[in-house]
Amino acid sequence: MHIMEGFLPTPWWQVWFAVSIPVILYGIYKMNRLVNEKREILPLLAVAGAFIFVLSSLKLPSIITGSCSHPTGTGIAAIMFGPAISAVLGIIVLVYQALFLAHGGFITLGANVFSMGIVGPAFAYLIYKAGMKAKLNFYAVVFLATAFGDWATYVTTSVELALAYPAGDVLTFAGFMSSFGKFAAIFAWTQVPLAIMEGAVSALLFKYVVNIKSDILVELKVLEDAVVRKLRGTSA
Amino acid sequence: MTNILDDYALMSPLRHINNWLKLAIVFFGLLLGVSSTSPITPFFIAFCMSFATVAFGRTPLKFYLKLLLAPAGFALTGVIVIAFFSGSGQELLSFELASYPLAIRADGLELSLLVLSRSLSGMCCLYFLALTTPMIELFAVLKASRLPESFIELSMLIYRYIFVFLEMALSIKYAQTVRLGYSNFRRSLSSMGMLGSTLFIRSWEQGDKLFLAMNSRCYDGKMTLFEVKRSVRAAEMLLTSVYFLSALALFYFTKNISII
Repeated sequence: MHIMEGFLPTPWWQVWFAVSIPVILYGIYKMNRLVNEKREILPLLAVAGAFIFVLSSLKLPSIITGSCSHPTGTGIAAIMFGPAISAVLGIIVLVYQALFLAHGGFITLGANVFSMGIVGPAFAYLIYKAGMKAKLNFYAVVFLATAFGDWATYVTTSVELALAYPAGDVLTFAGFMSSFGKFAAIFAWTQVPLAIMEGAVSALLFKYVVNIKSDILVELKVLEDAVVRKLRGTSA
Repeated sequence: MTNILDDYALMSPLRHINNWLKLAIVFFGLLLGVSSTSPITPFFIAFCMSFATVAFGRTPLKFYLKLLLAPAGFALTGVIVIAFFSGSGQELLSFELASYPLAIRADGLELSLLVLSRSLSGMCCLYFLALTTPMIELFAVLKASRLPESFIELSMLIYRYIFVFLEMALSIKYAQTVRLGYSNFRRSLSSMGMLGSTLFIRSWEQGDKLFLAMNSRCYDGKMTLFEVKRSVRAAEMLLTSVYFLSALALFYFTKNISII
């Protein structure tokens, strides 16, 4: 759900930059602390960023033919690295997507970072944490976290568009709600199935990683050793 | 997917122009386009940037037009919503769709045209940068800006690894496709999951190896870059100023003009 270059009018693109920049700075601060502590983390973060980019440039299989759908990958990043670092990776990946794939743009970067780098991952992370605390099945939690993270992104994008173009030209609550409903309804056609698809693919992805190389997830503190053993159905 | 825009930028003759000049042109166009109040200035910017990209930058015209169509889906949905649901003036066209009244009003159409032209001019500026300036050149610019060292380092490493993983992902995907991994919906889901997990595990191992390799070569958190100094020639300066001045003049004179 990239908002394309030049789509947002003047007060709004500045507003979204103003909202996003503090979060990004906080993310960079956190990342710097992590890197100073453990220097080997930087290359790992770099490959994670590249992984998000490549994942997002792959086309997902789609039931509705003709709609171009691709995973955002930010849900996975949020589960693995936490929302603050996902935001930093998100802004770099978004700049590369704008430059290499022409998704999004520079003027709307603030709004896109807010919806895809901040709100989506934060939401996914919250659901993941809550689900793990409630001791739900790990794969189900991954599915829910990624799908709801995607939906959060899409709702945020609709909010951004509706704030910029409310019905009746003047920003009133009723005008905002009416315009929000319309944007949300139109984008729902592609976004609702897409989020379910991405949730399913992410859950499968984690399943294969657990089966083949679970020590990465333990190292990242995504899963505990005992949980991994339970998921693989074997005793140590 | 196999050809990303950076490949074209590496071949473009405009690659050897001063980076700051190109960035100035791009950001001038972006800002002027987004703050203009009539669709004429954005269309002018879009035309100039496209001309520069195709004629000076030698991007194949057919490829360029195809690129412009790529974000059309998003633009059209957004513009249609704006055209139908905003504005309060005179009705130009109205009909009923499943007993739901729909109408395009004059000012709604005006606004949607403006938004469309702004997006178009933004896309053209973005394509100008993407198709004439390889990322390597932009890193020098990033270094000159005062962004934190670790952030720049991270972007350089990500850039490097995008290509490694893109190739890996493509070969895995080909291998899966010839083994009928995408023959039906269920199978393609599981293939996608497998592709993603393999990619993740391999990239993780690659990251470990990268750290070892860089450490053994005395990596201290900084990669130095060789920056080529490119002076701005008089002709380029002149052309840029003519473009800036005419765009500004057009912006000023069409401030209150509406097309419809």
